[in-house]
Amino acid sequence: MAKIPVSMIVNGEKVGPLEVAEYTSMLDFLHEYLNLTGTKLGCGIGVCHACTIVVEGEDGALEPVRSCINNVGRFNGKVVTTVEGQAELDAAGEVVALSPVQQAFLRNFSFQCGWCTAGFVNGATALIDRLKRDPAPADKVEEVIGEALGEHICRCTGYVRYFRAVREVIESTPGLLKEAE
Amino acid sequence: MGKCIVVLLFLLLGGNVAAQSTVEKGRYLAAAGDCVACHTATNGRPFIGGRPFHTPFGTLYSTNITPDKETGIGNYTLEDFAAAMRRGEGAHGNLYPAMPYTSYYLIADEDIASLYTYFMRLPAVEHVVPNNDLFFPANLRFGLSFWDWAFFDKAPLVQPEGKSPEWQRGNYLVNALGHCGECHTPRNFAFAMKRDEKFAGNILEGWDAVDIRAESLRRQGWDRAQLRLLFTTGASERGTAFGEMFSVVKHSLSRLSDDDINAIITYLLDGDDNVAVNGGDSQLAAQQYAQGRADFVAYCAGCHGREGSGVTPVFAPPMDRNAGVRAESPFNMIAVILRGLPAQRMNRTNARAGMPGFHRELDDARVAGLVNFMRSAWGGAETPVTQEKVAEIRHQLRKDDYLGVVE
Repeated sequence: MAKIPVSMIVNGEKVGPLEVAEYTSMLDFLHEYLNLTGTKLGCGIGVCHACTIVVEGEDGALEPVRSCINNVGRFNGKVVTTVEGQAELDAAGEVVALSPVQQAFLRNFSFQCGWCTAGFVNGATALIDRLKRDPAPADKVEEVIGEALGEHICRCTGYVRYFRAVREVIESTPGLLKEAE
Repeated sequence: MGKCIVVLLFLLLGGNVAAQSTVEKGRYLAAAGDCVACHTATNGRPFIGGRPFHTPFGTLYSTNITPDKETGIGNYTLEDFAAAMRRGEGAHGNLYPAMPYTSYYLIADEDIASLYTYFMRLPAVEHVVPNNDLFFPANLRFGLSFWDWAFFDKAPLVQPEGKSPEWQRGNYLVNALGHCGECHTPRNFAFAMKRDEKFAGNILEGWDAVDIRAESLRRQGWDRAQLRLLFTTGASERGTAFGEMFSVVKHSLSRLSDDDINAIITYLLDGDDNVAVNGGDSQLAAQQYAQGRADFVAYCAGCHGREGSGVTPVFAPPMDRNAGVRAESPFNMIAVILRGLPAQRMNRTNARAGMPGFHRELDDARVAGLVNFMRSAWGGAETPVTQEKVAEIRHQLRKDDYLGVVE
């Protein structure tokens, strides 16, 4: 099978160039080549969003992308963050501080089995980043969260607590909301 | 005496059964005419109207067609109903030709009567729809009589001799009730169908309502079996119905009898089932469009398969021999890549996942390369698509606000 050279930055570290079979999904690449197993395979057809990771666009904006339906070539040369890259680590790789989104999920008991959590963390992180650049009207918070995360499926039905946690982060972080329109 | 009662009972029952069957026939014809699609707002109650139609002349709202006397059509006689359906003459003045009376004028008297009976038996719902918001001079209804005079061509249905009864039935369903031409026929400056380019395709709401002339359908690889799949399930080996056509399948085509679906197909393919579906040359295409192939592998193959083989028609249809890939016009290929497709539900057991749009990530040159690779590998289209063509379609879609969706 044809291979392609792959290099990118994952969680701040340069990866590659590696020779990877061209049809390898990004999810498999993270699992099998980088040993980053925090990203979960849910449905495998791009519906449940459990496998969502974050990719930095050319303008630095963070975008959520599903890793199960996209092959590794899409991420060549890109800056990628997975759930392993969200917390602040010290030199030894130990967690110093969880991200505000992660903390809020814990505080709100948002998840039970945790399979969808990595996807929610990344999706919510991309949403917060977007609001930093383009604040939402204060009276539209619910719509904004629903539109950004409504496609993420949680079979333990933690939706309400995920929702509450994300709302908490948005409303307690300066600069994410503007006056109601 | 006893005999009389029995006879009377029979008469009453018989009459009731006849009326009931007229209602059921009317319900079926209303499905064939897809009345519900336009006369229902998003998530609204069927037939009470209020769906907005954005036109270059402003916004129109569909009307309440339940038999409410104040806000619906409760005061319509059969003659009033026929005038609205076939001549676009409503109780409140001329109808805008968003109402497809320009096709419905071909509906037979008997069918008009059944439709009337059906609509008059619906529960009456009091519901006032918003006022039309049109610019001058389109807001003046008397101008519509001029439009009708200039553009409403009431030519009778062409019924050539030598065609099978099935073909003739399809002819009637497609042209009269189905009003397919209203979307699939190009329109002139005044939004009237160009009769000499019947079914040649038309850009509507950022999609190409494709060329459905028999020759084009065959070129796109449509045979009886695949068309039947598309019309009954919304998905096929040649691709899925999307945009407004999804709703047509959901509310209209999927509710028609096998006989009528067969008739429609016979008419559309003009009785010729000989479809030679040759693919292209994927080896050559890969050499010629290396970046296009690399992008297919990276962005598309996760769902549409390694050799464009697809997964299932509903989830991710094959690109190999896909009708959109084989179509003469690349519009829909480009528009789908840029816009993506929404998740949609046909019924309890048939739902689709939706497709991300790539307009933010793929520039014009890469979209052109991707389209050219696919057309060359699996479609056999001769003319390559230029970067400028992609730019033009992207510009049009952005201008009309169809490129807002993020993955």
